[in-house]
Parts: sequence; C-alpha cells; structure tokens
Amino acid sequence: MKMRRMRGLIAATLLAGLSAPALADNIVMWVNGPLASSPDAPIYAELKAFEAATGHTVEVQAVPHMEMERNLFVALSSGAGPDVMALDIAWVAGLADAGLLADITAQTAPIAAEYQPGPLASGRYDQKQYALPLYTNNVALFVNDRMLAEAGIKKAPSNWAEFRDAAVAMTNKDKQTYGVSFGGNRMGAFQLYSFIWQNGGEIVDEAGKVRVGEPAAEEAVDFLAKLYTQSRAMPDSVLTAGNWDEVHAPFIQERAGMVVTGDWALAAFTKGNPNLKFSVHPLPAGVKSATVIGGYDLAIKAGSKVEKPAFELLRWLTGSRSIALMQKYERLSATAAATSPEAIAALPKQLQPFMAQASSGRARPVVAQWTQIHSDVFANVWDAVIRGKPAKDAMAEANTAITGLLEKK
Amino acid sequence: MTIARAPRPLRLRPTWSSVFETGLGARVYPYLMVFPAVLLVLGVVVYPVLSGISWSFYDVTLRKLNSGSFTFVGFKNFERVFADPVFVRASINTLVWVILNVVAQLGLGLALALLLHRPVRGIGFFRSGILVPWVVPSVVAVLTWRWMYDPSVGIVNEMLVRLGIIDSYRPWLGDTATSLYAVTVESIWKGTPFVMLLLLAALQLVPRSILEAASMDGASGWRKLWYVILPQIRVSFAIAAVLTFILTVNNFNAIWLMTEGGPLNSSEILFTLAYKYGFQRFDLGLASAVATMLFVGLVIATTLYLKLMQAREAD
Repeated sequence: MKMRRMRGLIAATLLAGLSAPALADNIVMWVNGPLASSPDAPIYAELKAFEAATGHTVEVQAVPHMEMERNLFVALSSGAGPDVMALDIAWVAGLADAGLLADITAQTAPIAAEYQPGPLASGRYDQKQYALPLYTNNVALFVNDRMLAEAGIKKAPSNWAEFRDAAVAMTNKDKQTYGVSFGGNRMGAFQLYSFIWQNGGEIVDEAGKVRVGEPAAEEAVDFLAKLYTQSRAMPDSVLTAGNWDEVHAPFIQERAGMVVTGDWALAAFTKGNPNLKFSVHPLPAGVKSATVIGGYDLAIKAGSKVEKPAFELLRWLTGSRSIALMQKYERLSATAAATSPEAIAALPKQLQPFMAQASSGRARPVVAQWTQIHSDVFANVWDAVIRGKPAKDAMAEANTAITGLLEKK
Repeated sequence: MTIARAPRPLRLRPTWSSVFETGLGARVYPYLMVFPAVLLVLGVVVYPVLSGISWSFYDVTLRKLNSGSFTFVGFKNFERVFADPVFVRASINTLVWVILNVVAQLGLGLALALLLHRPVRGIGFFRSGILVPWVVPSVVAVLTWRWMYDPSVGIVNEMLVRLGIIDSYRPWLGDTATSLYAVTVESIWKGTPFVMLLLLAALQLVPRSILEAASMDGASGWRKLWYVILPQIRVSFAIAAVLTFILTVNNFNAIWLMTEGGPLNSSEILFTLAYKYGFQRFDLGLASAVATMLFVGLVIATTLYLKLMQAREAD
C-alpha cells in the first residue's frame, strides 16, 4: 500500500513537471555604469517587468565604460563573462571577429525594420548580425548663448566658415575665453571623424580601402587643428583632455563658448553649472552634413547556455519599450519608431537636434582593428597635428599605418 | 595479602591526528602543512608567470585566444617589439623615469630622515605629517596632481607664475618635453616618505657614541654624514635603493592615470607599453614579450635585494 502511494507520488510529480512551463533561467547581464548608477535607475524597473513577464531572472552588473572592453575581452576569452552585455558600438567588430559573440542573424532578420538602419548596422560584422542597438547617439554643437551674443553673433554657426568665425570671435586672450573646447588624443580623434565625413572624406570605405590620406580628410583635420595652432581659439586643455569631463570643463566654466559633444553631456552641464545658458544645434555642415554615431548595443555571449532567454531580453530592452526607457535616461532609442515626428516632438527640447540629425549619422568603420586604429593611429594623428605637424604628413602616415593594420589579420 | 600493582603508564587516547606524531606521519606532517600555501603560490604566482613567459614565444591574439590554437613563433615577438620605434622610446623613458625616481627619492628621503632624526619638540607631528603622501591612495594622489597640473586652472601654474618662474600657464602634462618629468615629480612626492621611513629607522640604530666621537675629533656635518653615518646605514640605503627601483618600474598608476603614456608616447614606459599591446591591441604575445623583459630585470633587482638583506643580517 505504502509502495503504491509512493509510486503515485512520483508519477504525479513527473506529470506536473512535464506540464509546467519551461524552467526559468538566470541571465547575467553587464551594462555600462551610467545605466545602472543607482538602485533606482530605470533599467531595474524595466528588468523587473521583464522578469514578471517571462519568469526569467536577470542579474545586473554595472561596469564603467572605460573598463568594459578590456573586462569583456578578459572574461569572454576565458569562457566566463555575462550572457548578455551592453557594448559600445565600436567594439562589436573586434569581439565578433574573435568569435566571442553569438550570431543572431536568423533571429533578427524578421525584425530588422524595427530599428534605425545606422544603429542596426553597428551590430553587424562580416555580413552577420551580432548585436541589437540599445540606444544611439551622435555629436552636436553645444553653444553658450551668452558668450555667442557677447561676441556679436546672432545665430549658432551652421557651416564651417561660421563655426570658425564664431570660435575666433568668442576668443579673448585677456579674459581667457576661447571659442571651442576640444579633446586631445582619443577624445579629439572621436570628435574629428564627423568633420572628415562632412568634408567628403572617408576613413575606410565600403570596399575596405583606407582613404585618410586623401585631401578631403587632410583638410578637415587641418581646419580643426588650425583653430588651435593658428587662431588659438581652443584652450590648452586640447593638449591633455583625455576624458569627457575634461573636454566639458572649459564649457561648464564658461571659458569656452562651444563644444562638440553628445547627449551624455546634458546631465554633466546641468549638474556642473546649473546657471549655464546653452543651446544644442546640429553640427555645422561642411560640403555635406555628417555626425558620428555612437551608442551602445546589446549582444549575447557565444555559447551562452541561456541564448534563447537572452535574446528575449535583447528584444525586450531594444524594442518598442526602449523609447520610454531611454527617455528616462535622456538618451535616444534606436528604434525606427523613435524617429517619427511625433516621437521627436515628445523628446526634451535639447535632445531634439540629435534625433533631427540622426539621418546624417555615420558609423565608424566596422573593422576588427578599430580600437587600435582609433587609439594608436588617430589619437596620435590629432596629438601630432595640434602640436604643429602638417596634417598632410600626419594623415599620410596614418593611411600607411591603418592599411598595415587591416592587412594583418 | 595484597599485591601492589605498578601504576600503568599514562597514555592519551589515540585520535586521528596521532598518526602524525611518529614515523612516516611525523615526517610528512610539515609538508602537509605547507601544501595549501604551495598550491596557492603555484596557482596564482608560478603558473601565471610561466604562462606569461611561454606566451611571449607564441602568436596570441584575441581571435586566437578564444580558439586556443596558438602558433609557436620563437623570438618573433621580441623581434617585433625591438622593431617598434615606440619600444625604443619607452625603454629610454623607463631608464630616465627609474634613474630620476631612485636618485631623487633616495636623496630627498635621506635629507628628510636626517632632518626628522633630530630630537626636536613635536617631531612626532612632523614625522607623521611627512607620511601623508605615502598614505594617500595612489589613484587619489594621481588625479589630484592631474588637476594641479591643469593648463588653465592648475595650482602648479599659479604658484610658478606668482614665484616668477614662468610667465604664463603651461600644459605640463600636454607638452611632450615636460610630460614625463611632470609625472616624475608626482611619483617622487609619493615615494619619498617610504624611503625616509626606511632610512629614519636605520639612523636610529646608529650608535650615538660614534657620532659623539666624530664630533670630538672635529668632523664637520658633511664629513660625519659621509664617513660615519652613510657607512653605518649603507645596507639599509642599498635596500631602499633596490625597493625604490622595483616600485618605480611597477608604478603603472601614475603614468597611466596622468598621461596614458602620451602625448605622442613622450611619457611611455615599458609597463604602459605592455598594457597597450595587451589591452588596446589585444596582442598578448607582444605584451608578454615586453613583460618578460621587465620580469627578467625585476628578478635581477629582487635577487640583489635578497642578497643585501642577507648582508644586513650578517652585519
């Protein structure tokens, strides 16, 4: 009798197990620090909603931006690391090339139209999709309205000539004010890409040819460098500013009238100088408009044991809900729906210029060696040119160096 | 008649650990005790070092690391390192960086130790105060100095202008001619108290009678320092020199956080170069080659240090 009852119990348990929904999975996720800066950061509420809807659990770990690439490289190479990771769009190619990211081409093909083409392309490498865009950004021109007015200029510059004139007009040696704050090294390199494209130049074209030695690219670098070397319209911090805080500092202190930066600066400016009166404008155009696309993508670790639920999480965070989620961070959703006139009108006023110029956004070349090209080559080009090296020579050397890097696999 | 029984010898009840009290157990026991520590050292020190050295002979990149298929390339990584002009620059910078740091820290450390060795009222306060730079976390110190050197609002510029040493503010960290020296000043400021502490301890062991005898013989301050004090503290001085050398070569924080080796590699040292090879280029073979060369240099210095320690014990 006892034995029969026991058998019945086992059978009931098995049946219950078979008919229950699939077991919940735990997904480990690394996000860049600002997204999970405090326990009440919006992402936690969003993840709670995801957990409630799917039954999975998500374990979030915040990693500072500057450490993320290195930490991902170390962790993923050793077979550890997160199931889902937020990664700067510039890192996708390198990690994908190393076989560290899961190929999600098949899953994303039917939903590709839901995303803006530029940000979606940032997650693609070698004809395969490895990541979906979590949020997008680009760089615009921030102008100190008071300094601009005091310089006798009525409207924010909209082309290169106006940009140079405004920068020179706002420079006053006695008052120690400057026209534009710019970064050194990697920061400066990031800022100058937009200008190269605006002048009709290219870095690496779609055919894979390196074109930084061409006149259009040289002229752009020369134009910016001369704002410092000749017009002295940039503060000396251009020689040392190695992070955004240092690039922003002269603008916050009202010692520089303009700065080329992204939406991440908005919070820094409000916090650093609540009395600062500034406005945001599309980047002044060269022969055409262009702005460098930035932002973060979400990707899945190659060989993750929870690949299916991880993709559900990617969809949840990058899909239609991302418009509301990213607004809470004052960031831009990368969904196609976020570019509709209604969605743009619903954005805070200072974010609108970024979305308005999104159509002229350009992604940096999606090549595996990009980190090295950016850090070793372009950073040194900018450092050399602002210290007096002719742009033509610096860019010719850069052309050779990048070609060498791309040839070496 | 009762027979008196001899008392039984007192024997402790055998426990599981009794096996280690005699015979083979007793011989094995000490080895068993150090085994966990040996295992730990093998895992976290010996294996990584050997692995790093072996990687310097393989082509290890991010792509290959994941697949695990490394190609043996012999000394090719070393050849590539030597062919890189940045390596030559970094080697020269490392030499300058080490010499300036060791000489200045020893000189200033000795001067401060002599100053603070005097029996003056309230000397304890000054001795503690002088240790502040050493106690401050290195990242905090470095970032503070970075702001002090700021080309627009830095206090260093303001002080130098007011003292009439310079006419206008200068980008100390942004100028290729001054960046390495600017970082060196911070490193000297941070490291000197440690040297001072070592030498102060040594000075306190110098017998007073010898100094008094030298004074009675009419020796001047410099002569006393050169012929009496320095010979007495020579071993401690040498130990301080070797330790300063090791700590300076390993001082990655100062350069990385202040200049990242820039501008234009003007403050690049071998340590930052190895980091860049490893974590910016993701070429671990190349990074390991530089790290192996650094390792050999540090092993020589450490051996020297241990020899000096033995000499001090013999003294």
